[in-house]
Amino acid sequence: MIQVSSPFTHNNNSVRKVMLNVQLAALPALFTHIYFFGFGITIQWTLALITLLVVETIMLKLRNRPIWPYLTDFSGLITVTGLVFCIPPEAPWWVIVSGITFAIIFGKHLYGGLGYNPFNPAMLGFAFLLISFPYEMTQWTLPTQVSGYYLSFIDSFYLIFSGQIHSVPLDQITGATPLDEVKTALSTGVTVPTSLMSDSFNAFRIPYGWAAVNIAFFIGGTWMLISRSIRWQYPVGFLLTMIILSAAFNWFDPETYAPVRFHLLTGGLMLAAFFIITDPVSSSTTPMGRFIYASGIAVLVYIIRNWGAFPEGIAFAVLIMNMFVPIIDQYTQPRVVGYRK
Amino acid sequence: MTQLNQTNLRFSLSAKLSQYRQIARNGVWENNQALVALLGLCPLLAVTNNTVNGLGLGLATMTVLLTSNLLVSLVRNHVASEIRIPVFVAIIASAVTAIDLWMEAYLYTLHGILGIFIPLIVTNCAILGRAEAFASKNPVDQSLVDAFFVGLGFLLVLVILGSFRELMGSGTLFAQMDLLFGEAAKSLKLSMPDDFHPILMAILPPGAFIGLGLLVALKNMFEQRKSELNRQPLDITEVSADIKPISAS
Amino acid sequence: MDQNTPSTPSKMTRPGGNLRRKMIQSAFYLSLFTLAGISFLLVTQHITAEPIKQAEKQVLLKTIDQILPTTQYNNDLFTDTITVTSPDYLGTTDPVTIYRARFNKKPVAVIFKVIATNGYSGNIEIITGIYQDGTLSGVRVLKHRETPGLGDKIETRKTDWVLGFSGERLQPDQKRYWRVKKDGGHFDQFTGATITPRAIVKAVKTALDFYQQNGDRLYDSTQSN
Repeated sequence: MIQVSSPFTHNNNSVRKVMLNVQLAALPALFTHIYFFGFGITIQWTLALITLLVVETIMLKLRNRPIWPYLTDFSGLITVTGLVFCIPPEAPWWVIVSGITFAIIFGKHLYGGLGYNPFNPAMLGFAFLLISFPYEMTQWTLPTQVSGYYLSFIDSFYLIFSGQIHSVPLDQITGATPLDEVKTALSTGVTVPTSLMSDSFNAFRIPYGWAAVNIAFFIGGTWMLISRSIRWQYPVGFLLTMIILSAAFNWFDPETYAPVRFHLLTGGLMLAAFFIITDPVSSSTTPMGRFIYASGIAVLVYIIRNWGAFPEGIAFAVLIMNMFVPIIDQYTQPRVVGYRK
Repeated sequence: MTQLNQTNLRFSLSAKLSQYRQIARNGVWENNQALVALLGLCPLLAVTNNTVNGLGLGLATMTVLLTSNLLVSLVRNHVASEIRIPVFVAIIASAVTAIDLWMEAYLYTLHGILGIFIPLIVTNCAILGRAEAFASKNPVDQSLVDAFFVGLGFLLVLVILGSFRELMGSGTLFAQMDLLFGEAAKSLKLSMPDDFHPILMAILPPGAFIGLGLLVALKNMFEQRKSELNRQPLDITEVSADIKPISAS
Repeated sequence: MDQNTPSTPSKMTRPGGNLRRKMIQSAFYLSLFTLAGISFLLVTQHITAEPIKQAEKQVLLKTIDQILPTTQYNNDLFTDTITVTSPDYLGTTDPVTIYRARFNKKPVAVIFKVIATNGYSGNIEIITGIYQDGTLSGVRVLKHRETPGLGDKIETRKTDWVLGFSGERLQPDQKRYWRVKKDGGHFDQFTGATITPRAIVKAVKTALDFYQQNGDRLYDSTQSN
């Protein structure tokens, strides 16, 4: 095949096409999420989208930039997708609103808009939420299979906007995420294999809901890979490093270190692998650099998950590696033909 | 130097006042140690998670500045330039240690909260900076005015940043003022309505950096507005043919 | 006091008369300033020493007031103390001062600090008061670095949780009583934070164990300072 599409021209259209592809690829995960965790995420998505439009418009106006062309490059959508999947589906409405606002203002426009932001806006917004509202961010809706309740759209709506619900007991439908559960159990001396036997895990010892959403992300991500919407170095470098690390530690001490399947199928791992670390603006620009960047994030995620203060480390790992991008770029610059290094 | 002093004496009172005004402007606004010179940021960022901490550290820093500027200005003609820095350091260190002890005695709880940042005032570059750049070259009265207004500029930034962070991060304003002003000041505390959700990041270290960044940006915005306003009448004189632009003489 | 002489690497000869005079003069002035600074500080220290001691006492007294009302004892807490070192029970290798409250010379309560070592982020410093019969008169958290918004609910400024300890005692027949509810015990945890309350419950329990072990000996000992 000689026919090559035009990845070399970077106009509004190509950005838009890639962004739409990303949205399409996230659909399987969205449906899976709705199946396991209820309709909360659709409300969060709508809230996020409205906030995005309002904040973008205000910021573009303040910066004297044309509004329509910037708004329709859809680049903000990836921030919405990245953040919406990270917050608890029934989190109060102001959580996602303030998260998106922070991400767009401090993560994007203060640095000069799309293309100039050194940090991934979605992860900046997520980190902001994690340290600002730790209580709200730990209240995850449990999958139906665990709690025995399925929240209707109306239930979710009430929970998000009023924080109260009368039809079901609140403390039975929310709880710790599997990552949190295993980590807390470890601190009280409960071994990982024992934790994996708890109600949150199914017969395969993978967490209800979480595993399915991660697999859906993997499927959508693979499609993006095949359709060349993302570069292969990101997911391959990230997942490979994660697998090697978790396999090695699990082999070394299975009582303390969770198996590979646990690490791959919990938290936001697949979301990160295909939708977050693939952001071309805040990551390395060289092929080798992308690989190093991705595996660096995996190393940091593994470190934070096992030895850090937070159960999930993707936001911090991405932000830390964002800071290393200039150095990585400098040392991985491909040799220009005819020149010696 | 002595000659300069004698000419100073001949200045009229109004000239003196305008001189003070210039020093004040410089200290509080134009050369604000925190917002323009970006000095003393370590304590500034570390303690400003509420108003009372900012005010406490601000007052302590101001007192040190007044003492060091006064003493440095007094001895400026008697100290050889080779040993001036060690002498300044000795003066500043003594002043800081004295204030540290004094605060421990009379503001025990606040002293406990501010902790290491009181002794660390000694490393605040703004203080040695004023001693070297101003007090060692100017008479006592001007040095005191300079110390007061430079201190005030620093204190204002501490208090504004502290209030902003306290309001955002804890949902209160002027809480624990009793640590500084006694039991009566407890009633100063203001609280946000109950349904306000404090943004904890504001009282954590990132909140300090973002808050300071916003303050610097705000100041730059004012400056920009001001310079735009000043430029307009000038433009008119340039456009109109009758009035010749004033040339620098 | 030896002073730094300004080094002049290019000149190998000894400093001449004029320069030498200047050097001596500088050394003299520098010494003078140092001496003045030192004497000033000595005077300040002398003046503030007593107020600092008073303030320290005042603050401690204020804390003790919260866990043991002043009406329940009439001795001077600050002179009626013993110091013990018990890393296993009190969480620190440093000597801990135990204040003994008495009413008309009869033992009322002991008050001492305990360190909870297994908090979420660093040590938690707690003060406990235990009545002579082994019930808690009260518990307060003095210092901690737990997560704001989650673990800091142990402060009385945030919630009343820590007040729940007053009146509790060891339950020899119920082994799991001194645990958080999540672990099958009696005490509440906070939503989203179990580690902090767990650490405090454990520390308070070991404080009670310590009292049970030593009992009245804590009152008898005449060692005081």
